[in-house]
Amino acid sequence: MLAKRAESRKVVGILALQGAFVEHQAALEKLAFQYRLEVILVKTPEELARCDALVIPGGESTTIALLARLSGVLDPLREFVRTKPVWGTCAGAILLSQAVENAKKGGQELLGGMSITTARNGWGSQVESFEAALTVDGLQSPDVPFTGVFIRAPVVVKLHPAPEDPPILVVARLSPHLLPPSLASPHHSDEPKIFVALRQGKHFLTTFHPELTDDNRFHEYFIRECVFSQCR
Amino acid sequence: MTTPATTTPSIQTPPIPQGAGSAAVPSTAPAKASATQRDGSSNIGTFGVKSGLAQMLKGGVIMDVVNAEQARIAEEAGACAVMALERVPADIRREGGVARMSDPEMIKQIIDAVTIPVMAKVRIGHFVEAQILQAVGVDYIDESEVLTPADDEFHINKHGYKVPFVCGARDLGEALRRISEGAAMIRTKGEAGTGNVIEAVRHQRAVMSQIRKASVMSEEELYVFAKEIQAPFHLLKETARLKRLPVVNFAAGGIATPADAALMMQLGCDGVFVGSGIFHSGDPARRARAIVQAVTHYNNPKLLAEVSEALGPAMVGLTIDKNIAGGLLASRGN
Repeated sequence: MLAKRAESRKVVGILALQGAFVEHQAALEKLAFQYRLEVILVKTPEELARCDALVIPGGESTTIALLARLSGVLDPLREFVRTKPVWGTCAGAILLSQAVENAKKGGQELLGGMSITTARNGWGSQVESFEAALTVDGLQSPDVPFTGVFIRAPVVVKLHPAPEDPPILVVARLSPHLLPPSLASPHHSDEPKIFVALRQGKHFLTTFHPELTDDNRFHEYFIRECVFSQCR
Repeated sequence: MTTPATTTPSIQTPPIPQGAGSAAVPSTAPAKASATQRDGSSNIGTFGVKSGLAQMLKGGVIMDVVNAEQARIAEEAGACAVMALERVPADIRREGGVARMSDPEMIKQIIDAVTIPVMAKVRIGHFVEAQILQAVGVDYIDESEVLTPADDEFHINKHGYKVPFVCGARDLGEALRRISEGAAMIRTKGEAGTGNVIEAVRHQRAVMSQIRKASVMSEEELYVFAKEIQAPFHLLKETARLKRLPVVNFAAGGIATPADAALMMQLGCDGVFVGSGIFHSGDPARRARAIVQAVTHYNNPKLLAEVSEALGPAMVGLTIDKNIAGGLLASRGN
């Protein structure tokens, strides 16, 4: 068993250009022994090349994209996203989107990877930031609700997988009446705007911040479902 | 591969490396959804989302801007937030007079111009300016000694607001007093508007040194130390356990070059505020971008050398002494 695990040892990187990367590191380190992970911070193309999987943390998506370009890591990241497991939280979720609304004037650079459109700052300014219990499929201890921390969070506005793309799986939902008034439409309780965690093939996104709680079940989910399991 | 279900939500926070520029800040959001119900109610303005936004700003640069055009330059240069104000500290110093909260119309124009968080300053103790800025919808309020204090005894009680606050501090006691009043983020005071980093260094060294001392103290010693530095005991005890401040801690006051920014990061700050240093320099866009890179790669001297090249003149620096124009701002509020 141990030998088998040693073979499957994985290097999980956390993009460490700006934002809450150390929080992800602490959460993943708790899983390092159980899953035989090596957790590293990634600032350069060389460090990215060592990784089997990557977490893109929360922060400012415009800042992270600019620093990625200036550090020569933007194109290697786009290449990485094509083939390897990636999880984006908040700003990371925006970067993983194919398209973004409410972008910086003049547009902003994305990595793509998931066939969705997100809207930045979907709830408005910081005074609308909130915590809410989520309904989640596939976590350990499913009876314990998960507290989603939404900070100037993006909103998923559209899913548009092409026929050849892997299907998109909804992992966590928000109560429809928590949607911002500008987005709420009481008739559709199953539209994309209430999706706050999505998985497509090896890619995973959460519009909230699991790394800000002591609960690392989403980290466990990413490692178990996206990094180790044979992806659909 | 099956995994044991060991997800008790309150696992001990792992030891945190000391002095690292961006150590993890302990989670303040509840691990259990005891406060939230599954029926879909939510809690707005919790301390978790307030201190959480500061965590998202870590490793970033927050830049002072006086209009929408400067805010756009800052955003393009990679700022993780902007601070909207009418006059940068160097001008407040030169022109004198009472410095107050900015015109809400100007702040709104800046909010409309950028997608990154917008902060704004209120005078120390001026809780109505804070109510107004919350109504305007700013993302963070800086209760700042750079503006003329409105109250020489009381700071704002910051717990009751949905909008988070950042406050300046010169040592650990002052930092913990501000956190106890509800500040969700701390910065060094430095000496704003001077382009002289010495005070920011002094304040950061004082905080780190006192944290290191506290971290090896017995509980009896902590009681006495709390009295000495005039800090609430429970916050001091938590700080000693974590070996860092319980909230994010940025550098501010006198930072003018990429090297200054990296210096503050190596001294243990989580990120950097740059006030007059950018738009009072020869080439603001270029200098701003260089400082952004310096904060990310603060431990890479070769890259720091590259980004420091040919930035044009830095802001004019001032010697900090009793006779400095505009006076010593850091001594305001305690």
